[in-house]
Amino acid sequence: MGAAVGAEPGGKSVNVEVNIVPFIDLMSCLTAFLLITAAWVNIAQINIQPKGKTRDTSDVQIDDERIVLSVLVQADRIWVGLSRVNEFQEIAKKPDGTQDWDKLESTLKEHKANLFKDRNDLEIAGESTLQQPVKYQDIIQAMDIALKVECPACPVRKFYDVGLSDPMGLSARPSL
Amino acid sequence: MPVHPAGPRLFSSIKFKHLVRRSGSTSAAGTRASNISLNLTPFVDMMTILVAFLLMVFSSSKLLQVQAGLELPIAMAKGKLQDTEAVIIITKSEITFKGEMIATVDSVLRDESPTYRIERLFERLEAAARQIKIDVEMGKIPKELVTACDDLKNNKRPGPDQPLCPDGLAILQADLVTDVRVINKVVVTAKAAGFDNLLFAIKNK
Repeated sequence: MGAAVGAEPGGKSVNVEVNIVPFIDLMSCLTAFLLITAAWVNIAQINIQPKGKTRDTSDVQIDDERIVLSVLVQADRIWVGLSRVNEFQEIAKKPDGTQDWDKLESTLKEHKANLFKDRNDLEIAGESTLQQPVKYQDIIQAMDIALKVECPACPVRKFYDVGLSDPMGLSARPSL
Repeated sequence: MPVHPAGPRLFSSIKFKHLVRRSGSTSAAGTRASNISLNLTPFVDMMTILVAFLLMVFSSSKLLQVQAGLELPIAMAKGKLQDTEAVIIITKSEITFKGEMIATVDSVLRDESPTYRIERLFERLEAAARQIKIDVEMGKIPKELVTACDDLKNNKRPGPDQPLCPDGLAILQADLVTDVRVINKVVVTAKAAGFDNLLFAIKNK
């Protein structure tokens, strides 16, 4: 690499050779450093508030007079329930053995458009047992769907206030 | 190891005349020059572009604590993970808080205490919550979080994409196969210790 810094006509060429070795060294070090420190995995967040009644008897809770939309994720099905009116909808697993997340989404959409037009709260709980464990990924999937559900015509478009509850403290819990 | 006289070396004993001929450059004396000039321009171009790209994607913020073998659950939610001091990590085998091992997952699953809490975690979380509260009251928080903390004092909920006040805020990083019973116990414990806002760390699809 050279730089012509004004050659005189008929005279000696005054091309200057720029030493690019330090530049390449610097670039190589910088590239290596940035490659090592780069975060390739995109980590995001789901914000939740712990909800529902706790099992701790010292923590006395006042009963809410409003209807609460509750989702209970079990190993083999999902329950969507409404407190006070005690209405429950069962979403069974698909024939391939996976949870029917599409059905959960459509059910939540229906509730959002009908009873929860101006509400943004919802409760989710996962009920796991030694015989039928529920994985954390299933709860995250349910929360993700709840946060995604949208009703464009409603005064409050989405469920922004998604809470995780203890299964025993869920506002609407199906009696099995 | 004994020292031997130097053996034959390239361009000294072994002339590589064919390479010198091909190089095409001649020395000032008229003889063929042995210097082979590499064209470094494409290399420098590529390096510059690569450095520019990496600088663009570089994040100077504190990186999330990485735990070996921890696989975060996958979700579509896009909210960027907010940084906070209280980080609870649940791997396949153990629960840690601020890098300190609290309990094993098996022991938590076996424990049938009526309070449904993890007592050791409760103690650590309560101390951390107290410290964070003092820091917030003394104004030891980034400027952009002051409004969020003022809103919290006035019981005003922040919007979906707004930053949250560190008071009562904790991050939960749990492995995707963790039993929900462990998550429930950690959430109950965190709530009892004063953490009313939990950020579940997830991986985007």
